[in-house]
Amino acid sequence: MSLLKLDRVTKRFGGLLAVDHVSLEIEAGELIAIVGPNGAGKTTLFNIMSGVFIPDEGRVIFEGRDISRLPPYKRAPLGIGRTFQIPRPFSSATVRENIAIGAMFGTLGKKVSVDESLKIADRYIDMVGLQLHRGKAAGSLTPVEKKMMEIARALAMNPKLLLMDEAMAGMNPKDIDHMVAFLMRIKDEEKISVIAMVEHIMRAVAGLAERVMVMHQGAKLVDAATTEALSDPRVVEVYFGGAPKEFKKNWKKTNGPESDKGTA
Amino acid sequence: MRADPTKYYPLIPVYVAYLAMFLIGSNMTGMWQLMAMLAFYCALGQAFNIFLGMTGYVDFGYVAFLGVGTYGMALGITKLAHVEELGIGIIIIGLALAVVMATLLSLAVGAVALRLRGAYFAIATIGVNEGFRYFIEGAKIWNGSEGMIFTAELNQIFGRETASALSTFWADVLVLIIAAAAAFVTLYYMKSKIGYALTALREDEDAAKVMGIHVTKYKIIAFITSAVFAGLLGASAWALKTPYVFPPEVFEIHYTVEAIIIVLLGGAGTLLGPLVGGLIYGLSKYYLSIVLPGFQLLIFAPIIILIIVFFPEGIVGMLKNRVKGTALEQYVL
Repeated sequence: MSLLKLDRVTKRFGGLLAVDHVSLEIEAGELIAIVGPNGAGKTTLFNIMSGVFIPDEGRVIFEGRDISRLPPYKRAPLGIGRTFQIPRPFSSATVRENIAIGAMFGTLGKKVSVDESLKIADRYIDMVGLQLHRGKAAGSLTPVEKKMMEIARALAMNPKLLLMDEAMAGMNPKDIDHMVAFLMRIKDEEKISVIAMVEHIMRAVAGLAERVMVMHQGAKLVDAATTEALSDPRVVEVYFGGAPKEFKKNWKKTNGPESDKGTA
Repeated sequence: MRADPTKYYPLIPVYVAYLAMFLIGSNMTGMWQLMAMLAFYCALGQAFNIFLGMTGYVDFGYVAFLGVGTYGMALGITKLAHVEELGIGIIIIGLALAVVMATLLSLAVGAVALRLRGAYFAIATIGVNEGFRYFIEGAKIWNGSEGMIFTAELNQIFGRETASALSTFWADVLVLIIAAAAAFVTLYYMKSKIGYALTALREDEDAAKVMGIHVTKYKIIAFITSAVFAGLLGASAWALKTPYVFPPEVFEIHYTVEAIIIVLLGGAGTLLGPLVGGLIYGLSKYYLSIVLPGFQLLIFAPIIILIIVFFPEGIVGMLKNRVKGTALEQYVL
């Protein structure tokens, strides 16, 4: 049984088809990336997974249970944690309190007291390297620190599935490599599945994910192993508006006629 | 909660201040009325802060809870005055009625209005006090617009002397106790999951939901708690102190505005804030009414603007930043 399964989910905003019959499965312990240019429907898909939006059609199944209509605050205790594209810290609270809030209302929920949650928070502060900012108001952190704090807050929820929305946008290559290494480590250490959403930082995608789903205009374009997906001419076309002819020819030669197998 | 005494240190300055107010009032001639007024404003701020300060939601109809609390006490006394064996128990019944009525009203208002966000909530609550006032007057319940006067009942139950002490002394002591209790509950919430949930939803409601926080539930908890203290305050500061109740007086929006000023001036969401705000507001209102009678309300507008420009976090909010890292830190919350 897969951990999370999207079954032909669709979301419309008036006449705009933001997510168009997208299906996706992620197994426990897997790390996949969802890529696609701006406006491809990635964030809407994330919002459907975390419960911010209810899909118009299709189902969201988590550990065999249909959660399509469950509000977000009921999904978090089941084990879905997420970060946001633009960090959303609880600004007036300290870094430690922010992270403790994750522990208090996540999967541990009723099992942990406030004091225990603060202790858990300390562990994740050490893990993401925010020791010097423990008692600072979260609103006063730099954008990169806020991202790290959000990741710590989501991890403190002790999730089974972590949804990371553009965790690396705006970072320099060194920070990206650092973050990629960090994500690989926590995935193994904490035994969680990760769905990372990336707009265009292929450096991160290549280093991070075993599998990539490429979205374009709301629909799934390709769902394949990373190297395969990133060299697919359709993906190249989405990003660059048409792959060079040479590229297409070479690609056909090496991949053969079965190259359409990733089509939705 | 497990015993960790340092958690309760922030209550020390609050309780010292309330004790000082009691001692000044009871030992210095002519000071009791002033102290009673200050206690009322502090209690009002302390009660309202549990909702306004902790959730960031503005309830313009807040005075309605004081109003129904006043009616609760009035009804308890007038309906049960003939039961002689009750004695002092009638006051307790009155307070209990105030609590029940404030809870019911806050549930009714909260169930509808708390589904709305921020400014929409504020707009939805504007009419609550006026609506309730016209309901009482129009439906002619609880004597309608004639109100209720129960001086005679109090005299009959307690005798003239005790009844007089009740309204000139014990009602004010009760107000101080309510303020202290509200401060305790505020701190208890701050240190429990409720406080963390309220901080989260105040800062970012959508993010709070995704973190697993049932925001409506926690908003309603804060709303009802705040309303219950308002009901108790109405029952003691308005019904016991002045043994009559008229709808236009107890549903006056003016008190809601005063409560908002006190909370913002002192520091919304802080423990010490409503006390500081209540003292400053009460004292300046008192002295302005002596120095510049009639101007006390006019002068508050510029003062409020200055606060918002210079101390957006309120006086205690600013103070908290100042004492950060010093030994005073654990006493200022």
